[in-house]
Amino acid sequence: MSRTAAVILAAAVPTAVLLLVLLVSWRARRRTRQRLHAATTRLASGTVPESPRLEPALAELERAVDQAVSRGGDANASETRLAKALEAIHDGVVLLDDAGDIVFTNARAATFLGARHGEALVESAIDELARTALTGEPATQTLELFGPPRRTLVLSADPLDDGHRNTGALVVIEDVTERRRVDAVRRDFVANISHELKTPVGGLGVLAETIVDEDDLGVIRRLAARIHHEAMRASRTIDDLLELSRIEAGDSTPREPVAVHLVLAEAVERAAGAAEHRGIALDLREPPHDLVVRGDRRQLSSAIFNLLDNAIKYSQPGSTVRVGATADPAAGTAALVVGDDGIGIPRRDLERIFERFYRVDRARSRDTGGTGLGLAIVRHVASNHGGEISVESREGEGSTFTLTLPLGDPRRTVTTQED
Amino acid sequence: MDQRSWFHAELEDITREIVLLAAHVTEAIPAATEALLTGDLDAAQRVIDHDDVLDDLALDIEERCYRALARQQPVASDLRALMTAIRMVAEIERSGDLVVNICKALCALRAPDLSPEIRGVLQQMGEQAVGLHRTCMDAYADGDVTLARSLDLLDDELDRLHADFLEAVVRWGEDGSVRDAIQLALIGRYYERIGDHAVNIGERVRYLIEGELPVHGSLS
Repeated sequence: MSRTAAVILAAAVPTAVLLLVLLVSWRARRRTRQRLHAATTRLASGTVPESPRLEPALAELERAVDQAVSRGGDANASETRLAKALEAIHDGVVLLDDAGDIVFTNARAATFLGARHGEALVESAIDELARTALTGEPATQTLELFGPPRRTLVLSADPLDDGHRNTGALVVIEDVTERRRVDAVRRDFVANISHELKTPVGGLGVLAETIVDEDDLGVIRRLAARIHHEAMRASRTIDDLLELSRIEAGDSTPREPVAVHLVLAEAVERAAGAAEHRGIALDLREPPHDLVVRGDRRQLSSAIFNLLDNAIKYSQPGSTVRVGATADPAAGTAALVVGDDGIGIPRRDLERIFERFYRVDRARSRDTGGTGLGLAIVRHVASNHGGEISVESREGEGSTFTLTLPLGDPRRTVTTQED
Repeated sequence: MDQRSWFHAELEDITREIVLLAAHVTEAIPAATEALLTGDLDAAQRVIDHDDVLDDLALDIEERCYRALARQQPVASDLRALMTAIRMVAEIERSGDLVVNICKALCALRAPDLSPEIRGVLQQMGEQAVGLHRTCMDAYADGDVTLARSLDLLDDELDRLHADFLEAVVRWGEDGSVRDAIQLALIGRYYERIGDHAVNIGERVRYLIEGELPVHGSLS
């Protein structure tokens, strides 16, 4: 009895232990499977069928991990693409989170952060606008920076949200300097051309009307002289406008070698009368005769004449206007220079004087009888010849205009004077 | 954040604010010069009004400096940094006041039609004054002693322009009104003083870095 009991006991204890071990291990595996399943479900976007075995559950997990990794790669790629797109934008872009901390800036915007001098004001404006935007209100501000360079920036801040709450703000910094300049050029041109053409024509009408009712021969003579004067002015303006459009349309400009000393001599000859009349000396520093540029001689001498004419008009009687030319073989260019010791040009007008009809001082330039087109003609001649016109000027000290042109081949020069 | 790193973060912030304060001045100088050259009284008034922003900012920085002094009781270079900051705020703020004076003098001019000579020198004085202020702030922000030393030369040029300017005003005064000539002479003086403040800032920068106060007599 006790033996039997002992045998049974001897068999039962290990069995029970084994069963217990199996039970514990089965429960452990079930827990593992459940955790695997939960992790797989979390990783995969949808629900995953629960597998009764460990091996398929593991495979399921591996698949989900692969998918998640590739989705993460896609997300990274798309984030990189968006960042690159924001870099390519010509405006500065600053992205802030809901705490007002900057989370992204493109390179253009980054130049303003930690900047000094005028540009430091941009950073504080970004800060201020972003604070407004974070309260849910869009905000804009225009900043005029004197620089140099002088710039006009428009900053605008917009709140960002996910449909429920603010998630941050976007600040865009736009440089409108060039657009404003072009707008001003267009606006002024329209106003100026109507003024330049209507004034003499209106004057002619009024003068003629007065003559009709006038019997005094002396008065009639005086009025007729004024009519003549106004007609000449209108005619000069029209001549210059025609010249300008001829040059503007000039893609057929001949590209023959032109000796610079001839161009200068011709222009000086044309300007000599006006210079003498105003008591101004013309100092021609004749360049070497082998200094040759490519272009149209008539246009070039007209450009130099216009520069001389201006220099003479804005110089004091008794002063000297200098004209000369030098070569820069390294750059392959020649510089034709006209300099004066006249009243000079205010800094703010310097970049605008080459516009058609632009006048620094309207009252003063009217007395000089200019059409307001001289420098516009010069600029067009320069660009027609693949060259450029530049100016340096200081009020009270004088101005120097430099016309830079591509050098020509001296061996193929037409050195004889024609016309 | 422990006390020391709080202090250094605060010091960095203060430096940043000083750069911003100076930016208001370096922008106000050319704005005033342009108002002067174009006789634009509205623009002059805008510069005058904007000075409030500058004054508020200056007060704000000064208070932060005092708080930092009280909380940390710094020594050596930290103390120098704070003292320099306090002095610089005063110099910059004073420069801003001088710009306002220029604009007020412009408003007092009876005939703002100036001779080309006067206009030319005014433009140059304006540019030189801006140059001085940019240079002293670069010296401060970069801790560049050599740059700080170069301010004396820049200021000599401004003094020379100032002398030219007075000569031009005298010549112009023969046809213009005495009242306007006086206003113009004052304007010239304001530009010249703006330059002196930049030189003072440069000396503070040298003190900050080298720890030596300017020798007596070298202060203008």
